[in-house]
Formats: sequence, structure tokens, C-alpha cells
Amino acid sequence: MTTAFTTVGTPVARAEGPDKVSGQTLYTADVDLPGMLWGKVLRSPFPHARIVNIDVSRAQEAPGVRAALTGRDIPPALVGRLLRDCPVLARDRVRFVGEKVAAVAADNPEAAQEALLLIDVEYEELPAVFDASEAMQASAPSLHPDIESYVGLPQPPSPMNNVFAHNRWGKGEVEQGFRESDRVFEHTFSAQLMHQGYIEPHACVVRVDDSGRVEMWVNNKAPFNLRSQLSAVWDIPENRITLHPISIGGDFGGKGSFMDTPLCYYLAIHSGRPVKMVMDYLQELMAANPRHPADIALKTGVKNDGTLLAREASVVFNSGAYGAFKPRVYLGGADHLGGAYQVPHVSIDSYMVYTNNVPCGHMRAPAKPQVHFAVESHMDMIAAELGLDPYEFRLRNVIRQGDETPTGGSWEEVRAEETIRRAAQASGWGQPKDRPNAGRGMAISDQPPGAGQSEASVAIDAEGKVEIRMALWDTGTGAHTMLRQVVAEELTVPVDDVRFTVQNTDAVAFDSGSGGSRVTYTAGQTALGAARDLKAKLVQQAAGLYETEKEYVTLQGGTFVIEGTPAQTVPITEVTARVISEPGNAIIGEMTYSATNSPVTSYCTQVAEVEVDPETGQVRVEKIVTVHDVGAIINPMTHQGQIEGGVIQGMGYALMEELVAEEGRISNLTLGDYKIPTMPDIPKLETVLLEPSTGPAPFQSKGIGESSNVPVAGAIANAVYDAVGARVTSLPITPEKVLRAIRERESNKP
Amino acid sequence: MDYQISLKVNSTDYQQQVPARRLLVDFLRYDLGLTGTKEGCSVGVCGACAVLLDGEMVASCITLAVAADGAEITTIEGIAEGGRLHPVQQAFIDHGGFQCGICTPGQVIAAKALLDVNPTPTEDEIRQWMMGNLCRCTGYYGILESVINAARTLQEQAR
Repeated sequence: MTTAFTTVGTPVARAEGPDKVSGQTLYTADVDLPGMLWGKVLRSPFPHARIVNIDVSRAQEAPGVRAALTGRDIPPALVGRLLRDCPVLARDRVRFVGEKVAAVAADNPEAAQEALLLIDVEYEELPAVFDASEAMQASAPSLHPDIESYVGLPQPPSPMNNVFAHNRWGKGEVEQGFRESDRVFEHTFSAQLMHQGYIEPHACVVRVDDSGRVEMWVNNKAPFNLRSQLSAVWDIPENRITLHPISIGGDFGGKGSFMDTPLCYYLAIHSGRPVKMVMDYLQELMAANPRHPADIALKTGVKNDGTLLAREASVVFNSGAYGAFKPRVYLGGADHLGGAYQVPHVSIDSYMVYTNNVPCGHMRAPAKPQVHFAVESHMDMIAAELGLDPYEFRLRNVIRQGDETPTGGSWEEVRAEETIRRAAQASGWGQPKDRPNAGRGMAISDQPPGAGQSEASVAIDAEGKVEIRMALWDTGTGAHTMLRQVVAEELTVPVDDVRFTVQNTDAVAFDSGSGGSRVTYTAGQTALGAARDLKAKLVQQAAGLYETEKEYVTLQGGTFVIEGTPAQTVPITEVTARVISEPGNAIIGEMTYSATNSPVTSYCTQVAEVEVDPETGQVRVEKIVTVHDVGAIINPMTHQGQIEGGVIQGMGYALMEELVAEEGRISNLTLGDYKIPTMPDIPKLETVLLEPSTGPAPFQSKGIGESSNVPVAGAIANAVYDAVGARVTSLPITPEKVLRAIRERESNKP
Repeated sequence: MDYQISLKVNSTDYQQQVPARRLLVDFLRYDLGLTGTKEGCSVGVCGACAVLLDGEMVASCITLAVAADGAEITTIEGIAEGGRLHPVQQAFIDHGGFQCGICTPGQVIAAKALLDVNPTPTEDEIRQWMMGNLCRCTGYYGILESVINAARTLQEQAR
């Protein structure tokens, strides 16, 4: 069945467009308050050390300095998104290079920066551990001996050294599965430390008034959660804290953390002035909350015909010095180590490990890019051993309607197979390549729309102009435009008559914010619910005006149709003009909504086509086909934008991006050294969207924010193997690694 | 030490005392309040801080304000003409050329700088020229489309 939409499904241009292209949109670093100071932090140069002494007295007396703080000047409470294990300023010891040890607030950024040079810190270096597997050994230094006292651990920590979360998933009897298998394959993989690469660094502005009320501007995409974290660490009630809406200059999972906000408050308190803190990009690359490195071991049992029987998997995430930067203690995507396949016996172990590296956080589909790189590479390695085509091998095992997932769950409307078939078709799978050293590789993953909570009101004024009010910040995805389209569709009014107003955190009780491919579903259903409530009220009003019952009134094309002989039609604007007498008044629909877990997921299969230079190992991605199992598309332009941005992020992950740490010190500390893709790097991109299926979001839509960045690395790794027979099992796939793999292959030749 | 500089920014004359080490990006953003120019990488490689200095694109995060003495500067706030968006700006709206918008001022400046000197660039010339402007949201496809279409519009207008 196709439903005729008027606004949904059209590429409505974003309302914020004119402001964004002319420099008028306000971001956190642009906020300027009267009397505002600049805050800067001094960071640890050591990965693990005891702080013997800090002396800020010279900094305190420097010109323009209004406050200089150490950990001793503020309460000892620890902060965290869930697990509270991170000091606001280090007290007795530092656990990574870049940890904050002192802070100053001064009249201008130059004075603050100069004052940092006047702070004397005496350290006593302690033995450090950087490798996660080493950290798990009993002989390694214990980085958080007081872990039992921390707030926020959902389960007791593992008895293993430095392991603050050990999670297990699975089903069946994996040992039995291996016994029944004809062949068993074991491979290990590793994935690197990666920065989210948003162009806007973390920033915050904090103002505290004489009564202790706190106002903040922060580029944080989950402001209600942040408010709750800050309330806990500052020990003041949430209703004393207001976060004002601000545009966010890129998120990709990285802008959900508290970052400098807890500290900025103490600088404001101690200086008696509003304080702004802006991380420069050097600090971003050194000490923000990058994507976790992972070591993954996979063991898989198969029948000779290629049927998967058993999967044993473990992933060790190098979480760095603190677990505080994750909204859950573990990374949910670790449960994808069974892949998008039907596997009867599965056992998955995930370990979150403290080390003396930068603490890691969330990035776009947390854990899934690591996991699917490993799983999809492993699949091709098995296929090669069995002499099967990787596409055929996937088709044999891919999860289908009615199958249990590898962790014992189930989805409705499973369309994994269709995405694989369409990807093969669109990429010319199996056809000869048009040049030497070219290869194709395939990978599949899935990402369901995420659940969450939201609150909306939709108001209509006397002129029939509609306003959506929600406390949902703009992270750049186009969510506000998507919501305007949803509301316009429901109220049958032109989308240009619907505007979106972002509210502050005082306006509603809670909003989960952006993330987890959640917004179209959670915020979408909330806005739709509020629009429905408004529509019901308008119908009631129209019925009253025409002295009939609401059952006899319908709304079509911006006009009420009132049944009767003859039927009467009356535009919405006439009803609103008659009913709303006072200027400035409005009729308001409301909705508070808590989304449950989606019954459907969304599969994505990609095929990468690469050319490898066998002399240098350089990989050039020529083309990527990305196939998506979608619902209805609300805005094709913003939907496609998410796919394109995700694919190129995935390509950066696969080929070039790595925060290189030596003994915990990151050495590529500028965007000139930490390479992200640029315009000349982008390959030809072919997007295939399956026929819209059902989805839990408005008008049968789904989320699209994360999926496209997940399979890319696996597809590229498999394409490199197809091109030159070189199997690279660690990300990123640099020319050096490719060359080494080519030489290994040649030396293994009989 | 402070220096007196006089310069024209978006057609307005300014005479100002600035410290020797004040960067042009900070001068524009915090002394003049023109916060449309963004600071990303702080080392002149991401392009977010791009402005036109006497018609040439420069990274204002690695340019001293004193180096702009006597110059004419155009920032993102000065691109629209007579309250109407420049065709480059309109193209970025129509063709998905931005998402979060933080790199957009620099992208628009870079695209305009290209089309000012090369009104009919090939796709490859656009890709090479725009290499110095990082974007993490779009994957560049929408930006490329925007520049191609802006060139087309400007050509049509010139006819």
C-alpha cells in the first residue's frame, strides 16, 4: 500500500539554512556574556603519576587572572555519565597524558594561557600500563583500587585486574557447536583509537548568579543527562541548573560527555564571573573521548558446506583511564559479534579495561564499526579457506525472517538478505574487474532505531502558524526540519507554516537528546503525538463552531470538512481566527512519549571497490555501494546526507585515521597530522534504498544516523584481499600494512 | 606591545589597537564580534576560519591581525549582497552542502574564492581546491554538488 503524503518524502530545505550559510548561527564558542572570563586547563604530561605538590600562587598573581584552582580547591566528588570514576581536577594522581591538574580563569585567553606556564607541579611517576590485555594481568598496576566505592557500576566489577565491566551474551552450547563442526577457524583483529573529528571543539559557558542559579551553554547533545550528572557532582538540585539551547558543530557520538563543564562551574564560582572554556584541537586530539580501540578474537565452527554452527568471540576494549565518558558502562554494540547471521551456538565476552590512555567515549554506533570489521573480515577469511564466494557464503548464513539473532533475540521484517542481494547486483559482484589489482569486498551490519524519551508541544496561533516546541538541540542532522515535516503532514498544513523552537531545559521534564539513531523515532513520535492532540482540539473547536459533533468533522488539505447537507468546508485559519481571540494566544497540543525498543532493525550491506598499488600498498577506494533496509523516508536530502557522511567517516576509519599513542602520549595532535578524508578522497557512491518497509517512527520511518559508517571498514578490508590477496587484520589499513601483507603472501607461496 | 591597525571588513572601516600576537580570527570574532568565522584546528589546515584578504583566501587562525593592516577583508557575514544570499550560499542550502554548519562559513568562502578566479571549474578542479576545507558531516558529496550548481547559477547570471 502506498500512502499519498504531501510533505513527508520531499527534500524540504532546512529552516536553519540561511543562518548557517551566512555565519549567523550561534555555537557555544560564539556566546559572549558581560564580564565573561576565559578558562584554561593545565594537563598532565605523564600517563601515570602521583601529584606530590601543585603551586598555583604565581599564576594567581599574574595579570588578568581571577581564579586558579587545583583539585584541593574543589569538593572531591567524581563525575561520570553513568560510572562516576573521573575527578573534576586530579587530586593525588593522574592516570593519563592530558588529565586536568589545574585551571585558571582570566580576562582574556592569552592571559589564561600565560598563567598556565606559571603553575608548578611536582610529579612522581608511577608504573603505567597501556595495553589492555597486559592491564588485565594481576601483575599490572591497579589503576582504580577504590572501584568498589564508585557510584554507577550496574554490576560488581570483574575480579580481573582493571576490568570494570565484563559482559556476556550468547545462546546454545558453543562447545557442542564446535564438536559438530567440520572445520573451526580462529582469527584475531584489532581496531585503533579514533577521534570523532567534529570540526567544532568542545566548549562551555557557565554563569552562576548570586542566588547560586546556574545557566549554561554547552555543545552537548543530551543536555538533560548532563544536567543530572552535574547536579550529582556539584551537589545542587537539578532545578537550579538551566542549559540554554545552542547549535552543535558536529557530534558523531562525541558530544554527549560533560568534558570541561564540571570544572567551568568551579572557575565561575571562584572568580565570581561567567567563564567560557573552549578546548583547542590539540586538546581535542589529546584528551577528549575518542572511539575505543579493540582487540577481538573470533572462533567459528562451520560445516563443510559453509553452514555456520558456532561462534565464540571476545572483545577487549581499551577504555583508557576512566569509564566516565560512556552512558552505559559497557558498549552495547559488542553483542553484534555474531554478525547478521543465523548461528545456533554463540558465546560472546566483552571486557572494558582501564589503562593509562586517554579515556574513551562513544562514537557513531558504539562498538559496531570495530565488531563488524572483525566479523566481516573473519567471514571472508573462512570463505577463502572453504573455497566459497564471500557473497554465497553470506547468503547461506544470513539471518532471515523468523530466525533468532546470535544473542537469542528476534526482529520483525528481517531484510538482511535483500540488502546483500541488491548490493551484489548494484556492484556487479562476480563480474570481471576492468583493471589489475582491483577488488571488491562486501560487509553487512544492522542498526535499529533507538528508544528514548521526549516531550513536545505544538501550538497554532490565530493566523494558523504552527510552532513545535521541544528541548532538542540541533546537532546538524536536520532533525528540526524532519519534525516540521511530520507535524505539517499530520496537520495538513504547508511545512513553511511550521517552525521549530528549541526550548531550554526548564521547559520540559526530560528529553533523551540526540543519539543512538533515536531522534526520528523518539522525537518524531513525540512531535506527531502533540500534533495529533492539537488536531483533536481543533476538530473539537470546529465542531463547536458549526454546532455539530466532532465525529462529523475531518481535516483535509488544511481545511475542515463538516459533514451535513450540504457539506461545509472551512479552512483551519478561519477556525483559528474565530476561536483564538486574544493576540498571542494559541491552541496547544502536547505529548510526553517514552519509546519502547523497536521491533524492527535496519540492515545495511556495502560493497567497496578498491584499487591497490602493489608497489606502495596504497589503497584507493573507487566506489562504494551502500544498500539500506529503510522505512518511509521523511526527508530524502537529510536522509542521504546521513548516509554520505557516515560512509566517508567509515572510509577514514578503514584507511587513514588513527590517534597514534606511544606510551600513552598521542603524537599526531593536529588535524594536519591526524588525517581525515578530504574532498579529493571521496569515491563514487551508489546508494540503494530498498522499497520502504515498516518502521516504528512516524509514517513507518526508521533512523539512519549510524548505520552507514559501520560496514565500510570490513568491506574495504575484504576488497583489498580480493584485489591483491593481502589480508590486513588491524585498522587502519595503511599502505605499510598492505605492503607487509603482500610480502607475507609472497613469502608463503610454495 | 599594541599596534594601531586600520582595515576594511565587509565594507566597514575599522581603526583598532591590537596586541602584536592577536590572531586575525580572534580579532574578527572577539574584537569585532563577527563570530561567523569559525576556529576549528587552530593550525591552518581545516579551513573553518577562511576569510578573503584583498580577495585572497587566508586561514585567519594563523594570520596575525597586524598583518591585515591596510587590507580589505571579507568574512562570511559580508558574502550576501543587499540582504540577498549569494548564489554560493543558496546552493549550499539547496544541495545539502551543510549539516551542522560549523565548517560552512569556510566552505562558502573557499567556494566563492574559487569561482571568483575560475568561474567554470571542472569537478576535479573543485575537488582539489576544496581539499583545504574539512567537513565531517556531509562526506563532501553535498558540498561538491553545491559548488557545481553555484558555478552554473553564476554563469547563467553573467549571461
